[in-house]
Amino acid sequence: MKAMNIIFFSMLALLLAGGIAAQAEEAGQAAVAAQEAYDEDAYGPEAPIIWEKPVKAVVFNHKTHTKDKKLECDACHDSLFEQDTGAAEQKADFTMNTIYDGGYCGACHDGETAFASDTRCTACHIGARGENRLRQAENPAETAPAHH
Amino acid sequence: MDIKKLERSPSEDLSAISSRERREFLRLGLAITGLYLGGSVLSLVSVKDAAAFGGVVPKIGEYPYNPHYTMVIREELCIDCERCKEACVKTNQVPSYGYRTTILERRRQLTEGKSETIFMPVLCNHCNRPPCVRVCPTTATWKDEKTGIVMMKPSRCIGCKTCMTACPYNARYFQEEKRAVDKCDFCWETRLSKGETTTACAAACPADVRVFGNLADQKSRVYQLIHTPETIVWTLRPETGALPNVFYTNA
Repeated sequence: MKAMNIIFFSMLALLLAGGIAAQAEEAGQAAVAAQEAYDEDAYGPEAPIIWEKPVKAVVFNHKTHTKDKKLECDACHDSLFEQDTGAAEQKADFTMNTIYDGGYCGACHDGETAFASDTRCTACHIGARGENRLRQAENPAETAPAHH
Repeated sequence: MDIKKLERSPSEDLSAISSRERREFLRLGLAITGLYLGGSVLSLVSVKDAAAFGGVVPKIGEYPYNPHYTMVIREELCIDCERCKEACVKTNQVPSYGYRTTILERRRQLTEGKSETIFMPVLCNHCNRPPCVRVCPTTATWKDEKTGIVMMKPSRCIGCKTCMTACPYNARYFQEEKRAVDKCDFCWETRLSKGETTTACAAACPADVRVFGNLADQKSRVYQLIHTPETIVWTLRPETGALPNVFYTNA
């Protein structure tokens, strides 16, 4: 038992040390990112959009598409997406099937321009766990709305 | 006693015990019960038996039950929308502090410093050799002879929680209201016994991740899925020799 305990605690210590190192690394990356100012007028809102319909916890980052992938605003607005917050969610055809047929995200996420929308599900579907984490990172006091 | 300090100290309940430590403890139990009872009341399956089992997919025709209820999880399609959890909670009156099914999350490192998320739905695996059944001192939990479902009778449960410790899948929790351990029964009580053909979680899944059915029926989707050529089928913790009936695939 004693030997097992020693193994257990040394594993625990290793895990903790790893966690601290990872945190420090993340903080470092955040500092670098903060130095390059993000221009919302040029690149769209900085805060990620989290869609709740038709399924919850789907994320979209303007930054990934505009600043990183160099897309212009009019690549999507207003042909694919209206600029009003939540406009797409209100539409009955905002579904995966529409996207597979080239609507909304599917205009680019077709397997040629960008990864196909029927692959890599979790790239956008961050899940209830991912959403909780994201919301907490954005606003530490806020947690995801309770399930109904 | 400094209450603030006490609150910060690590939990000593079951959740803080690692799976490995639990199994080590159970092995200890085997030695002790073996000494006094000459039996294997608290034993897990021996290493020999576990190794004798070649793959995780049962051989055709070797299904002990009919219907042999099974769930196949098409893992890469899971997006952790948790509709399955919500449906389960509603159907089976699961309290907020416990679960009959949940979604675990893993990160897999990819090239160029990227990573991907993999969601893993978990539930009772309705094992063919269920460690939880072996350890129950009051036969409050048992393997149903017809369907293979691992059943639970709350009125017989004395709340010793040994089954919770024995389960390799963390699929049991203690329900305070019933004063008994509660677990997934493939919706036997709430749906299957009333003529429904699938579980609440499978019915609620928008991505067709959870496929439920009868493995003894070669026309069933579950049978087709786990016998598809050139696909990988795996189970969780096969090394325990429990012979789980929840299969995972990306087919």
